[in-house]
Amino acid sequence: MAQVRFDKVRKAFGAAVAVEGLDLVIEDGAFVSLLGPSGCGKTTTLRMLAGLEFPTSGTIAIGDRIVNDVAPGKRDIAMVFQSYALYPHMSVGENIAYPLKKHGVAKAEREEKVAQVARTLQLEHLLARKPRQLSGGQQQRVALGRALVRDPQVFLLDEPLSNLDAKLRAHMRAELIELHRRVGRTFVYVTHDQLEAMTMSDKIAVMRDGVLQQYAPPKEVYDRPANMFVAGFIGTPPMNFLSGEMTGEPGRAAFRCAGTDLPVSLAGGASPERKVALGVRPEDVSLGSGPFTGTVRLVEPTGHETIVVVESPAGSLVTRAGADVALAIGERVPFDLEAERLHLFCAASEARLLASFTRSGAPAQA
Amino acid sequence: MTATTITGSAAAGAPRGSALDRRYAMLGLVLIAPSVMIFCMVIVYPLVSAIYLSLFSIYTPTLQGDFVGLDNYATLMASGEFWRSLLNTVIWTVCTLTLQIVFGIAVALVLHQNMAFRALARSLILFPYFVSTVVAVLVWRWLFNDLYGILNHMMMWAGLVDMPLDYLGSMPNAMISVVIVGAWKYFPFVVIAVLARLQTIPEPLYEAAKIDGAGPIARFFDVTLPQLRDVLVVIILLRAIWDFKEFDLIFLLTGGGPLISTQTLPLMVYKDAFGLNDMGRASAVAVTMMLVMLVFMIAYLRLTGREEKEAAQ
Ligand SMILES: Nc1ncnc2c1ncn2[C@@H]1O[C@H](COP(=O)(O)OP(=O)(O)OP(=O)(O)O)[C@@H](O)[C@H]1O
Ligand SMILES: [Mg+2]
Repeated sequence: MAQVRFDKVRKAFGAAVAVEGLDLVIEDGAFVSLLGPSGCGKTTTLRMLAGLEFPTSGTIAIGDRIVNDVAPGKRDIAMVFQSYALYPHMSVGENIAYPLKKHGVAKAEREEKVAQVARTLQLEHLLARKPRQLSGGQQQRVALGRALVRDPQVFLLDEPLSNLDAKLRAHMRAELIELHRRVGRTFVYVTHDQLEAMTMSDKIAVMRDGVLQQYAPPKEVYDRPANMFVAGFIGTPPMNFLSGEMTGEPGRAAFRCAGTDLPVSLAGGASPERKVALGVRPEDVSLGSGPFTGTVRLVEPTGHETIVVVESPAGSLVTRAGADVALAIGERVPFDLEAERLHLFCAASEARLLASFTRSGAPAQA
Repeated sequence: MTATTITGSAAAGAPRGSALDRRYAMLGLVLIAPSVMIFCMVIVYPLVSAIYLSLFSIYTPTLQGDFVGLDNYATLMASGEFWRSLLNTVIWTVCTLTLQIVFGIAVALVLHQNMAFRALARSLILFPYFVSTVVAVLVWRWLFNDLYGILNHMMMWAGLVDMPLDYLGSMPNAMISVVIVGAWKYFPFVVIAVLARLQTIPEPLYEAAKIDGAGPIARFFDVTLPQLRDVLVVIILLRAIWDFKEFDLIFLLTGGGPLISTQTLPLMVYKDAFGLNDMGRASAVAVTMMLVMLVFMIAYLRLTGREEKEAAQ
């Protein structure tokens, strides 16, 4: 069993803190992505798990074993580097065989396993080549092969697709998902690409400035972001935030924004008059009818849909409309918000407030 | 052929290449001409002249003599001194070069680590290479001195020897001393070249090797050494050529002695030319040396040629 557990892990480089108070449990066989903007500590987290970096405090466990003091080669892990890190003077076959060789696997068995991995990754015809004679995608597969061949408990991947072109990336994404399904091992995948994280993962750990923001399945991260950072980081175009405040008494509260009241029931009877932010995803705004009105500022057809920016009294809203929407800049349009899919955040702490909006109470017009 | 005719014909519509191409080609010739001339003056002329002189029996002070054909070479081949000097040259080159490479790599690896005073250590290590050979040799002779040398003093103090050792006047001590001083003097060259290469080896290679289960020694042999290969080939060839023709260090340290025990070919050339005043024989030795070095050169070209072919595949 190879559950991975981070326990109050902190990593500082001198005065700079890269990872702070990380508690994370990655279930056996799960595909987990570490997602976040540049410099948020994803790579540092992965490298600590690999044993290439040592935590300043806290413990890291793989399976039942605390690995803080275990050498990288003895952790039963394999890593795919962003730069692939293939040994330039060794052939593809030798590269893949290298970890086996260092673990004392006999030559005959080595050859058999290399052949098997090469078959899986369609590298058979390339085994005699040197890494520099391969394309980026092929090198990437060799790096995967070198990781696969040992059948480790945990696979660590640090932005393995970021050096590939868009088409190949989509292809490799599918291959990685398939690979994970087949080998059934734990995968820890570092990326700053939310699409990769959303499509491939069982769970996503969103990080910011070294602090874990949310750890949940992709759908939950999207539908119930833990705070404004996660809400804004995930989804393209990003979520709109309208700032306003709560009015009314508990039980009959409403979100007031630019003179418009949206009735809302707050769990735990949060106090009114509180500065809040309303989160609206672009696809949760429907143009054409509804109680609100705004002016069209920008129309961007992308082919299968049109991004429309609407200026409303509550603020600017990025919305998604159908491909055939006919709107002119400067035109006034009525619009509606999908009440059940709105998000409410505390403006001060940026944390999500448990709230549900009700449609029926929406005012006719403000 | 002058510049005017070239540009003239080009302007008239040259059949091959544009006018611009030809002007550039001409410019290239003009720019390369000084180097070619200097090259001829300082390399080709002495070379031809040495070969020419080696066919005469010449008295150095007057540079007068008779044509003797290949007699000088025949004498050389029959002379024990020549073979002894060649053997000395090979022993000196192989031994001092090996020490230079081994110590050079070792020191480069140490200096590559993150350690205190790294910058200072890196500059200090270059000291032997920068210091003038005459100065260095004088210092070493003083250290080696059998009467008041500090080396003997310390060895006796430590109880390693009862009597002062004669480092430069007896064999094999003299050869060992020369080899060691040569290694000391030139290993910084290896350090600089290797250190520069070490800094370009991508860190992820080492990390990948760690994860693949390679220990420090395996990482050295599986990652570092293969990456150093190219630079080592160049260093070894250059140093082999330079050590092979080393003169001042050996001449100043032992003068080739005791007797001819540390006399290498360059020392023999010097002795023949200016000690025995036989410029013809000296030239013959020099030409023979050149032939041996030619072997190095061909080996070098072969090796680099193979590299390029491999890379082109
Ligand atoms: N060796 C180091 N020395 C000092 N600071 C470091 C070191 N490695 C990382 N850091 C710092 O730690 C923080 C987290 O870095 P990390 O490499 O984990 O970010 P990341 O999330 O992987 O970013 P990216 O998406 O750009 O790769 C950064 O602020 C970085 O500057
Ligand atoms: Mg990173």
